[in-house]
Amino acid sequence: MAFDDRILDQAAAWAARTADPTFEDWDGFTAWLSIDPAHAEAYDLVMAAAADATDALRTLQSATPMAAANDDPAPGIVRRRWFIGALAASVAALGAVGLWQMQPGAYVVETAPGETRMIALDDGSTVLLAGGSRIELDHRDPRFAELEAGQALFTIRHDDAKPFRVDVGGNELVDLGTIFDVKLSGDLTTVAVSEGAVAFNPRTQNVRVDPGHVLTNVAGSAEYKLDTIAPSLVGEWSEGRLTFQDAALEVVAADLSRATGVSFSVAPGGAQRRVSGSLLLEPVRQDPASLGPLLGVKVRKADSGWVIEAR
Amino acid sequence: MRFFAARGAGESAEDMLHEVWLKISAAQTGPISSPMSYLFRTADLLMIDRYRSARQAEKREKDWVDATGGAVPGVSDAPSPDRAIIARQQARMVAETLAALGERQSAIFRRHRVDGIPQRQVAEEFGVSLSTVENDLRSAYRALARLKEKIDEE
Repeated sequence: MAFDDRILDQAAAWAARTADPTFEDWDGFTAWLSIDPAHAEAYDLVMAAAADATDALRTLQSATPMAAANDDPAPGIVRRRWFIGALAASVAALGAVGLWQMQPGAYVVETAPGETRMIALDDGSTVLLAGGSRIELDHRDPRFAELEAGQALFTIRHDDAKPFRVDVGGNELVDLGTIFDVKLSGDLTTVAVSEGAVAFNPRTQNVRVDPGHVLTNVAGSAEYKLDTIAPSLVGEWSEGRLTFQDAALEVVAADLSRATGVSFSVAPGGAQRRVSGSLLLEPVRQDPASLGPLLGVKVRKADSGWVIEAR
Repeated sequence: MRFFAARGAGESAEDMLHEVWLKISAAQTGPISSPMSYLFRTADLLMIDRYRSARQAEKREKDWVDATGGAVPGVSDAPSPDRAIIARQQARMVAETLAALGERQSAIFRRHRVDGIPQRQVAEEFGVSLSTVENDLRSAYRALARLKEKIDEE
């Protein structure tokens, strides 16, 4: 159905405004929507078109190098069908920058701090890579990934015959039908599950991590800790939010630096101070000092970035 | 609630409200700069997601039927190389549509949407006023909506 120019133009104008984080006039927007059902339809069309276009442009940016990387001449191997998810829900783009050949079929995707990247795997699974992260994947074995640094949210199409495996911090994770988030920060591995379940080191400890649970392990140690987490918090960084529950300031600083691309560090002596709070990333990115009142700390600008002081 | 009804959620308005509430309450939100705005934004994004996944499901169904001459229940929508080609064609159409608006309009749209830079910062970078950025985005949104209408009809 085609909308008339006037309605489409109004919808486009609202879209330009509501998309901005500082937009406040939701009452005015609601009033406009209430005038005519066609208004909401036009707004939906505009917002979907903008989102589609954004995905498509990201696709275009990464399409050329990806095609080259995919051009693996190995005989006898079924030609892998990678796809670009401009048409698949929210799958934005395959990694292009920071992608190079290791062994045949293997490739690395890396993100800069503040950047996230959606990786579509050949089997329909997706991996959303957080900022400042690095993951190794293999075209010939789409059921395996190694998280080398940072954080990733896995949405895995489950296959009993070929379970998905993730290596991280010297541990092995095997999916049991799953959406799960994996983080490697220094030598600390964190695995949080929002749907399905994950087996942690099935050949040794064999711990089952169920939805709403988070497992932590220090590299090289056989010990682990299981805590609970609200499933909606698993992978919340992908929605531009981070929640800290009794987290050490050094962890907060590292997580925020990766997520926002703004460099945060902790003043001497404050690294182990514990804080709690939930914050939206965009406002922090725009105004790093706003972190202070949110977490009850002091934040000051230094040459190398922002310094968090316990107070 | 009124927002969802106006937003076209129809009978599912109540469910949607519940979903937003769950999302927010489960997050045990600590301090958030502007709670009402956060609520509305969450609601708006939820509606956009819902709209997009509904359209994409329709389209996948159609593509699949087109490709095979009949749907096979239970078979996953395995992506085909064709789809990648279509995706790239569409990306090119988007790029052309934006280019037709003008260099600045196109660059502002990319900076804001693709790179995720807030409008105020985009305005500073381009040395233009915030309302110019808003207007440029508005014309980009309008043109892209027309393009989407065209693509969806095919």
